[in-house]
Amino acid sequence: MLDGILVGLSTAFMWQNLLYVIVGCFVGTFIGMLPGLGPITAIALMIPITYNIGADSGMILMAGVYYGAIFGGSTSSILINAPGVAGTVASSFDGYPMAKQGHAGKALAIAAYASFTGGTIGALMLMIAAPLLAKVSLSFQSPDYVMLMFLGLTAIAAFSAKGQFLKAMMMTVFGLMLSTVGIDPSSGTERFTFGQADLLDGVSFLLVAMATFALSEALINVIRPEKANQGSNDDDTPVIGSTKLSGAEVKEMAPVVGRSSILGFIIGVLPGAGATIASFMAYATERNLAPKAIRERFGRGEIRGLAAPESANNAACTGSFVPLLTLGIPGSGTTAIMLGALIAYGIQPGPTLMQDNPTVFWSVIVSMYFGNIVLLILNLPLIPYFAKALTLPRSVLTVMILFFSLIGVYLVSFNTFDLFMMVGFALVAVVLRLLSFPMAPLLLGFILGDMIERNYRRAMMISDGSISFIWERPLTLGIFALAMLVLLIPLKEYFQQRKVAQ
Amino acid sequence: MLNRELLGPVLFLILFSLYAVSAWQIPIMPFEEYEAVNSATLPKVYALIGIVVCLLSIAATLFKGVPALDIREGAETISKATITQCAALIVLMLIYSSVLEVLGFIVSTILFLGCGFLIMGERRKQILLLASVPVVIVFWAIMTQLLGIYLVPGEFWS
Repeated sequence: MLDGILVGLSTAFMWQNLLYVIVGCFVGTFIGMLPGLGPITAIALMIPITYNIGADSGMILMAGVYYGAIFGGSTSSILINAPGVAGTVASSFDGYPMAKQGHAGKALAIAAYASFTGGTIGALMLMIAAPLLAKVSLSFQSPDYVMLMFLGLTAIAAFSAKGQFLKAMMMTVFGLMLSTVGIDPSSGTERFTFGQADLLDGVSFLLVAMATFALSEALINVIRPEKANQGSNDDDTPVIGSTKLSGAEVKEMAPVVGRSSILGFIIGVLPGAGATIASFMAYATERNLAPKAIRERFGRGEIRGLAAPESANNAACTGSFVPLLTLGIPGSGTTAIMLGALIAYGIQPGPTLMQDNPTVFWSVIVSMYFGNIVLLILNLPLIPYFAKALTLPRSVLTVMILFFSLIGVYLVSFNTFDLFMMVGFALVAVVLRLLSFPMAPLLLGFILGDMIERNYRRAMMISDGSISFIWERPLTLGIFALAMLVLLIPLKEYFQQRKVAQ
Repeated sequence: MLNRELLGPVLFLILFSLYAVSAWQIPIMPFEEYEAVNSATLPKVYALIGIVVCLLSIAATLFKGVPALDIREGAETISKATITQCAALIVLMLIYSSVLEVLGFIVSTILFLGCGFLIMGERRKQILLLASVPVVIVFWAIMTQLLGIYLVPGEFWS
C-alpha cells in the first residue's frame, strides 16, 4: 500500500496535475454555485477535455470538479435556496434561514469548514481502509439494500415539519411512482410511457431535481416577491456578514462534523447511496440526536443542521469513489459518469484496478487531500466574490436560473421533449409548493425507487418469494428495526401533542 | 368548501387512482407470470400506499375540523400581476423549448433572455443587451470552441 501511496503522491504532485485540481475545484465551485447546474452537468462538460489529458489527470480534474460543484451547490443553497446539486438540498434547510437572518457569511464559513473536514476525514478513511471498506460493501446483500432504502425513505420524517408527515409521505410515494416510468429493467416491459418513445428511458433525475428545486424556486419567487426579498435589504443582495465563528460555535459543530463525516463516508461507500442520502440522513440523525430545544430550531437556521449535511455530503463524495474504484460500481450519478469516462479511457474499474492501474487509483485518492485544501483556501476568501455572481438584479437572476436549468438538462439529453417535461414538472412543483408540500421527499423517493425495485426483486428471488429475508439475517433485521423506529418518531410526537392538547 | 389542506390530498388521490388504474394494466410477460415480483408488483404497492396515505390525510383534515376556508386563502400574498408574470415565464419557457432547435441556440437564447428580462419588468436597455447578447455569445464560445460541445445551429438557417 505504501508503494501505491508513493506512486499516487508522485503523480498527484506533478505540476500539471496540481493545476488540474485547482482548475477543477474552481470551475466546479463556480458551476455548482449557479442554480440549476450541478456536478453531473459540470463533469459531463469536462469529459471532452479529459480525453486529451490522459486517464490519471482526467480523473483528478473530474474529482476536483465534483468536490467543487458540491461545495458550489452549497453556496447557492445557502444564499438563494436554489441548490444546483441534490446533495446540497439538505444544506438549504438551515443554511438559507441563516442567510435570511443576515448570517450568510457565517453559514458559508460553516459550510466551508464542514466540507473541508468531511472531505479530509473521508480521504483519510479512503486511503487507510479502501480494501477493507470494499469488503464491507461486498458483505451487503440485496435484502440489506432494500432495508437501507426503506431507512432512507423513513428519513422523510426528519424533513416534515409539524403536521407535514402525511404530505411528505404523499410526496415520497409520488417520487417512487415517477421512478417506475419507462422500461422495466428486469422484464423489458413498458410502464407508464403511454406510447411516448421519449419516456422509454424513464424520467431523468437531473430533470426532476432542476424542475422541483431550481425552476420552481425561481417561479415561486416571482409569484411571491416578498418571499424572495425577505431578509435582504439591498436589491436582493445576500447580506454576507462576518465569516468568523465563535469558539462556542466551533465547539458545537465539532462533534456533529465528526459524526456526520463518518456516517457520510459509510453511506457514500454503499453503491447507489451517495451524497444526497448521506446529507439527508446526517441531517435526520443530528436532528434526532439534538436536545428538544435545539431540535425545534432545525429548519430555522441551526448550525448543526447545516454542518451535518455539509460534512456528510463531502465525505460521501469521497466514499462514493470506493465502489467506483474497487468494485466498478458507481456510488452516485456523478461517479456513474466517471465510470463511463474510465471505460472510455480503456480502463476497466473493478477489483483489479488497484493492481493494473495503480497510478490512476492512488493519484485520485492523494489528490483528494490537495483538493480539499484548495477548496478551503479558494472558498473562504473568495466567498464575497462568488456571492457577487448571485447579487445580480432579481429580474436578471430569475431568468438566468431558468436558462441555466433548461440548458443544463438539454446539454445532458439533447432532447427538447425533456424541456417540455421539465416545465410541466416545474408547474406541478409550484402548485404543490403553494399548497405547502415539501419537495425533498419527492426527490428522495425518486432516487431510491429504482434501487428499491431492483434489490427487492433480487431479495424476493433469493428467498423464493417469501418476505422472510427481513428477519433471516441480523443485519437486515437491524436496519429494518431502525427504519421502523425512525418512522414511529413523528407518530410518538403526534400522540404526545394530542395528550398535551387534551 | 374545499380548503388548502384538503385540496392537495384530493389532487393526489385523483393522481394516485389514475396511476393505480394504469398499474393494473401493465402487461405481464409470460416468463413473469409465476414470479413473486413482476413489473406491476411495486407500482401496485405504491398506488395502494399512496391512496391509503391520501385517505388518511383527508380523514385527518376532516377530523381536525379545520374551518372550510376558501382555497384562495393566502391570496393576499399572491397578486394577480405576479401570477401573470409567472404564467408568462412558463409560456416563454415552452416557446424556447419549441424554437431552440429551429432557430438555433444563439438566436433563441438571446430572444429568451431578452423577453424574460422584459417580463420580469427590466426596462434598462443596457441590462437588456448586456445580460443577454454577451452572455449567450460567451456561453456559446465556451461550449463549442473551447469544450467542443455541439450546440444546435438551427434548422431554420441551414
